[in-house]
Amino acid sequence: MTLLNRVAGAHPGTSGRLSRLLAIELVVFVLFALMPLLLGLVWSEDDSFFWIVFTTKVLILCLFGLSFDLAWGYAGLMSFGQALFFGGAAYAVAVMSRDLDISSIFIVLPVAVAVGLVLAILLAAFLLTGSRTPSIIFVAFGTLTGSFAAERLARAWYYLGGQNGVSVTKALTIGDMPLYEGVGFYYLAFGFLVVVYIGCRFLVRSQFGLLLAGIREREERVAFLGYQVQLTRAIIFALSGAIAGLGGGLYAFHEGFVWPALMGPIYSTQAMLYVMLGGVSTLIGPVIGVTAIEFATIILIDYLRDFWIIILGVLLLLVIMFRRTGLLGMLVSERERIGSFRWRGANHKSDSRGD
Amino acid sequence: MALLEVKGARKSYGRLNALDTVNLVVESREFHGLIGPNGSGKSTLLKCIAGAEYPDEGTLTFLDEDISTTPPAVRARRGMSLKFQITSVFNLLSVYDNILLSIQAAHSLWHLAGSRSRRVLHSQVMDILSEFRIESRADDLAGELSHGEQQWLEIAMALAPRPRLLLLDEPTAGMSPEERRVTGDLLRPIKERCSMLIVEHDLDFIKDLSDVITVLDQGRVLDNGTPEQIEASERVKEVYVTRV
Amino acid sequence: MSNLIKNNQTKGQLTRRSLLQSAMWMSGAVATGLGSWVFPAKWSHAAGPIKVGIATDLTGAISFGGIPCSRIAKLAIDQINADGGLLGRPLEMYLEDTASNEQIAVGVVRKLVQRERVDVVLGGITSSMRNAIKGIIVGRGRTLYIYPQLYEGRECTPYLFNTGPTPAQQCDKLIPWLIANGGKRFALPSANYVWPHVLNEYARKSIEENGGEVVMEEYYPLDQVEYGATVKRIMDEKIDVVFNTVIPPGLGPFIKQLYEAGFLKRGGRLSCVYYDENALNFNTPQEMEGLASCLDYFQNIEDPFSSELQAAYQKRHAHKDKVLFSAGSGSTGMYRGVKLWEAAVKEAGAVDRDSVAAAMDHAKIANGPGGPSEMLPGTYHCQMNMYIAVAKGGKYEIVSKADQVDPKECG
Repeated sequence: MTLLNRVAGAHPGTSGRLSRLLAIELVVFVLFALMPLLLGLVWSEDDSFFWIVFTTKVLILCLFGLSFDLAWGYAGLMSFGQALFFGGAAYAVAVMSRDLDISSIFIVLPVAVAVGLVLAILLAAFLLTGSRTPSIIFVAFGTLTGSFAAERLARAWYYLGGQNGVSVTKALTIGDMPLYEGVGFYYLAFGFLVVVYIGCRFLVRSQFGLLLAGIREREERVAFLGYQVQLTRAIIFALSGAIAGLGGGLYAFHEGFVWPALMGPIYSTQAMLYVMLGGVSTLIGPVIGVTAIEFATIILIDYLRDFWIIILGVLLLLVIMFRRTGLLGMLVSERERIGSFRWRGANHKSDSRGD
Repeated sequence: MALLEVKGARKSYGRLNALDTVNLVVESREFHGLIGPNGSGKSTLLKCIAGAEYPDEGTLTFLDEDISTTPPAVRARRGMSLKFQITSVFNLLSVYDNILLSIQAAHSLWHLAGSRSRRVLHSQVMDILSEFRIESRADDLAGELSHGEQQWLEIAMALAPRPRLLLLDEPTAGMSPEERRVTGDLLRPIKERCSMLIVEHDLDFIKDLSDVITVLDQGRVLDNGTPEQIEASERVKEVYVTRV
Repeated sequence: MSNLIKNNQTKGQLTRRSLLQSAMWMSGAVATGLGSWVFPAKWSHAAGPIKVGIATDLTGAISFGGIPCSRIAKLAIDQINADGGLLGRPLEMYLEDTASNEQIAVGVVRKLVQRERVDVVLGGITSSMRNAIKGIIVGRGRTLYIYPQLYEGRECTPYLFNTGPTPAQQCDKLIPWLIANGGKRFALPSANYVWPHVLNEYARKSIEENGGEVVMEEYYPLDQVEYGATVKRIMDEKIDVVFNTVIPPGLGPFIKQLYEAGFLKRGGRLSCVYYDENALNFNTPQEMEGLASCLDYFQNIEDPFSSELQAAYQKRHAHKDKVLFSAGSGSTGMYRGVKLWEAAVKEAGAVDRDSVAAAMDHAKIANGPGGPSEMLPGTYHCQMNMYIAVAKGGKYEIVSKADQVDPKECG
């Protein structure tokens, strides 16, 4: 209990009982873990295969959503550049696959992560240097410009396939074994999501996470406590870039196609929509948001093709207006979202409030 | 060796001279009061010392190092702690977490990520909380505290990292007389480990607490001395009677 | 995202909904579970129907192409079914809308290939769409893919057959004709994307081999609508032939500005190889007078089969809207593709990918839009008749016909 609750930052006074947030997280991940098996029981082989492949894409996009949540929900940077990292990494591995015939996972994924990381560091250096805090507008426009420029560049550059993009026809290989879409790739993506998620969770519940919570609330004040605020944000931003890069690398091989819009502002905005709907600054919020939007899209798209996007927009508007904390905010209190950073060790005195 | 030395500080906002050649010295183990009528430059001076502003001219020396251009985070790490005029506790964090945030600043980011010091700092946090009589509110959100309690929390946060110099900007603003008295009781014992530069309007409070008082008027040092000397000073009386 | 909203501006646009309605009227289409549109067979066979997947842009910016493609595919399939089907089995058409959006396309094509397990996929119009879906179809999906639209060539992927004109087919006869009927000095004003770049590479070679000269070759952003500088340069350099690959929205203003500068009046010749009957709507007849295009089909060619096919299409669809069966939309290549595939399946006697691909390698049909067609072995491309047509008074006049032109790809 202690370790799990420690990682989760359980709500004070609920020792022994799982906090709601943790319960939601467990439910989501257990569902994802069991999904391929459950599907096989209910549906035909063809149908379940289709859904497994579809959900794999959702899992990969969860990484994309997570990266935006880290940047905006935890580092306070409204970054329209997450697609730049995601798409940039996807392009890098797609071109590598096309020109150098590289499809080994042991090269592809580290390269993808590195591309995302480096691009994020470069962007952070531009946005966060100087002792003045950059305003939200500055960050938004700065990253938007980067994303826009990258898309234009990719469209115009024949080496990158121009408008036609780059097809990835090879399968990702683990040693000699090719990994096609299907159950194998599903669990690979799931595994990465779990590892990344746990890592982020641990980080945002650590003392570092306390610092992030402070920065989110009162950035100027935190500097006066002695912290290097911009460096801290840059670190989180770089991490978000690395995670987006990982997602991009997986996306390139799973979807088989990388094209300029993947780096562009529209795709970046999509990340924002996922996270806003699910619940910003919660980590599980983006996962829920991605899942909800993607599943709703595939199911509604044939019936409401012309309208589903309007419905989505209206839904998002309603959520933002009435519950700024997204879907998750309807289930989990603000307090639980932010968490508590107190040490709960062996000689922890029970507090006077008994609930 | 003086703890803090301000020499020839000047600061103007447009044509307004907020500070005009101000000299100030704070020694170790000294409570130094800073008073003056509205607009005399007290807050500006404090901000310049803390790093929220930078003087146009003059030097600031802290612990024998020139800090005239160092950013506030660096000054904080060197041992300077500031309590803002307007309460700025972290409302969405618990009282405990507010103190922890303040006290863990000395550790590196890597250290913080691994939460290595959480256990060690726990007793320190609890000690500070009990010293400031808010131990029972440890798990409440800071936003739920009364105004007075929030002020104490902020002072506690300022003291938690064991600074050498504590800068307080009107710590008793908005407090009842009883709360004021408690604040004085809380502050008095820290003299052994920490000097204090305190800006205040409440003259009684300041007289009671300070070893030395500096009086500012229109950006200049009007007078400087022990509370008794200041009370007897003609110049000071004149200013306070005609302009408050 | 913007494409989905833009669709109402495209001329003659049919929404998915009304296509659905008319389709349901005509042949009782059914929505299956996730809503793939199936046109079920009217009779059955023990071995089940053969499933034909059509993935094309029914909505969005490219719907002018997707809609006729889906209609002509249906027509072809209905004709085959009326003749007793293929190998005695009925054909079932599975239609998916790729919505002019590559991201959506990947999802819906996956449906065709993984869920419905179609035996062949025909579709894609833009090259980026082809690129987006080909991996899913021929790679992971292990299905055959037929791409019907005119394009830049160089697609030599196994199991991917191309039934639209290539640069060689569009240029080999046209360029000499342009030199003879226009002049030697060429300008190549182009939109900046892949197709113009690669087409121009071929065109340049052809121009120079035939004694012409490329005086200027320029690339403009896709959204550029101001061509004053370009037009001035064309006039100053005394260009004889403007071999244009600027596309809408820049096309209309460009042609207009060129006309107003007096290019046609002093004897200049315009040429644009994607110009079909749809394109005649982009400018006034005077502005396009003399424009030469080279395609596999025009509505007024003298070919009885083509006329019958056009009539059959008109009978079904002319009363609904003005979406045309024409060569620039990919629909001619779509018909050709369905029929070549049919021939291959007949020869193979089976529907599995490898047998059909082996037969498709050299498949041929005696009748198609524009004439017969034959796959050149080992090249994934096919020969077809090419026609040079010139715009006169807002209509096309056929000035030349070449039989069975070599695609010259993947050699």
